[in-house]
Amino acid sequence: MDSLITAAALALAAGDPLGALDRVALREDAPALALRGIAMAQLGEFDRAKALLRRAARAFGPKEAVARARCVVAEAEIALVSRDLGWPAKTLDSARATLEKHGDRLNAAHAGHLKVRRLLLIGRLDEAEQVLAELDPAPLPPAARAAHELAVAGIAMRRLKTRTARTALEWARHAARQAGIPGLMAEVDTALLALDTPAARLIAQGEERPLLLAEVEALQASPALVVDTFRYAVRRQEATVSLATRPVLFALVRALAEAWPGDVSRATLIAQAFGGKHADESHRARLRVEIGRLRAELRTLADINATSRGFALAPHQPGAVAVLARPIEVRHASVLALLADGEAWASSALALALGAGQRSVQRALEQLVESGKVQSFGHGRARRWMTPPVAGFTTTLLLPAPLPNG
Amino acid sequence: MKHSAAEILREYPFPEAETVAGVSFDGKNVWFAAGDRLNAFDPETGKTLRSIDVAAHAGTAYDGRHFYQIAGDLIQKIDPDTGKVLSTIPSPGGGRDSGMTWAEGKLWVGQYRERKIHQIDPETGAILRTIESNRFVTGVTWVDGELWHATWESEQSDLRRVDPQTGKVLETLDMPAGMGISGLESDGGDRLFCGSGNARVIRAVRRPR
Repeated sequence: MDSLITAAALALAAGDPLGALDRVALREDAPALALRGIAMAQLGEFDRAKALLRRAARAFGPKEAVARARCVVAEAEIALVSRDLGWPAKTLDSARATLEKHGDRLNAAHAGHLKVRRLLLIGRLDEAEQVLAELDPAPLPPAARAAHELAVAGIAMRRLKTRTARTALEWARHAARQAGIPGLMAEVDTALLALDTPAARLIAQGEERPLLLAEVEALQASPALVVDTFRYAVRRQEATVSLATRPVLFALVRALAEAWPGDVSRATLIAQAFGGKHADESHRARLRVEIGRLRAELRTLADINATSRGFALAPHQPGAVAVLARPIEVRHASVLALLADGEAWASSALALALGAGQRSVQRALEQLVESGKVQSFGHGRARRWMTPPVAGFTTTLLLPAPLPNG
Repeated sequence: MKHSAAEILREYPFPEAETVAGVSFDGKNVWFAAGDRLNAFDPETGKTLRSIDVAAHAGTAYDGRHFYQIAGDLIQKIDPDTGKVLSTIPSPGGGRDSGMTWAEGKLWVGQYRERKIHQIDPETGAILRTIESNRFVTGVTWVDGELWHATWESEQSDLRRVDPQTGKVLETLDMPAGMGISGLESDGGDRLFCGSGNARVIRAVRRPR
C-alpha cells in the first residue's frame, strides 16, 4: 500500500475518521474508496459508506479477492447496524469463505460474528449458536473478542442462562477496555445492565412482581407450573407444551393460571379467549370444546376441573402455578421489544424478525406512533423506526480496515 | 529472464508495530517504518535497539548520514542522532508513493498502483526520470548496481531485478501465496529485508548471485 493509505488507515484504527478522510478525500483508487467508505460508516453516513464500499469492491477487480471480500464484509456490517436485514446473507458467506481460503483469519472471524449477530437479530438462535461454536475466540484481538463474547451473552440471555451470560459479559468488558473503543464499552455496559433490570413479571396467586433474568431462570428450574407468555408455552421444568399456534388455548390457560388456586367464571374465560362481551349459548358450547382441547394438550402437566361457575386449573404435582409475563404489556409488545435495542429498524426488517407480514407490522408501527411510543425518520424505503427518546444512536461498528497487505 | 521461488532465510516478528512499511539498512542495523516511528533492530539477534518518533507511512532510505522517510505526501530528511526532521520535499506520487531507496546521490521512489519508479532529486523532489513496471510497485532497493523492486498485485508478491534504464525484468523471485512485501532493503550482501505491511514481520530473503 502507499503512504497516504497507510496514514489514513492508521488514523482510522486510532478512531479518527475525519483524519483518515482528510488524507484520501479526493482519491478514487480502490484502497482510497474503501477507506473513505469505512470512515463514512464510522461517521454514521451509512448510505454514502455503502456506495463507496461497493465502488471499492468493483475497483479492486477480480484478482484482488481478499481486498474485495473485506469490502463485502464491511458493507455487510453497515447493513447490519442499519438493520437492513434483507441484505444477502449468502454474499457474506462467500466473502467469509474467500477470506478463510486466503488465510485472513481475523476478517474471516469478523464475518462469522456478523453472521451470528444477524441470526440473533432475526431470532434464529440455534443457527447462531452453531456458527458461534465454530469460531475460536482465543486468538482474536480485543475488539473482536468483545464482539464474540457479546454474541455468547446474547444467546445465553435469550436462553435464560444468566451465569453464562454474566461470565461472557465480564470477558467482553475486559476485552472492550483493552480495545479502548467507547461504543463497544457502552454496549457491554448496556448488556450488563439488562441482567440487573427486570426482564419479566411474575403473576401468581393474585399478586405481581418484577423478575430479574436470574430469577426467571430460577423459576424455570423450580417445580412450579409456568405459563410463559414470551414463548406461548406451559411448562414444568423440562416438560413443555407449546401453544404458540393455539392463541385461544393459550388465553384460556393464562386466565386459569392467573386465578389459581381459584377458579374462573365462564363469562370471564369467554371474554378473554374469544373477545365476546357477553356469553351466549353458542359461546358456552365453544368454550366446552376449547377446554376439552386444552385438557388434551395439558394432559401430562395438569387437569382442568369444572366448578360451579366455571373452571379451575389442577396441576398433577404439588407446587405453585405462575404466569411469566412481559414487563410491560401493551399492544404490539413484540414490535416494541425489538425496537427496545435502540437501533433504527426498517419495517421490512421488523417483519422479517417477527415472521409477520410487512403490512401488519406497518399498521402496528402507525398505531405506536400515534401513542407516542415510537418515532420514525426518513421516507419511503429508507424510512426507519426507533423508540424515543434517542438522540442519535451508537453502533458497534468495528469495521476492520480492508487494507491491502503489502 | 531467471525465475525462481524466493528463499526465506529468517522471520523477525514485531507484534507491537502497527505496520511494517519502509525498510532500510544503516550498514549494521535494519530500520523500519512503523506508522508513527522508525524502529531499529539488530538483524543477527532480532532485538529491537531504538526508535525515532517520526511519522513513517511508507518507504525509508539511508544515504549514509540521514534517513529519508515518506510520511503522508512528503519525504522527510531526518537526523538519525537527534531524530529531528531537517527538511521536507514533496513526494513524487503525491502520497501514492510506496518504497524508497538511495543510490548515487539520488532517491528512487516507487509509485504503488501506478506501477512506476521515479528517480528524484533529494534536494528539490524534482522527477529526473521514470521507469515503468507492469506490476504494482512496493519496496525499491539498489545493491551492487542492481535495481530490485518488490510487487504486490492480485494478492501475490514477487521480487524482481530490473534494468534501471528500460525497466525490463531480468530476474524474478516469487513469494509464497498471500505473503506480501511492503518495504524492501538489501544489506549490501546476500540478504534482502522485506516488510510485510499488516503482517508485522520482516523477512530476510536470499539474494541470488
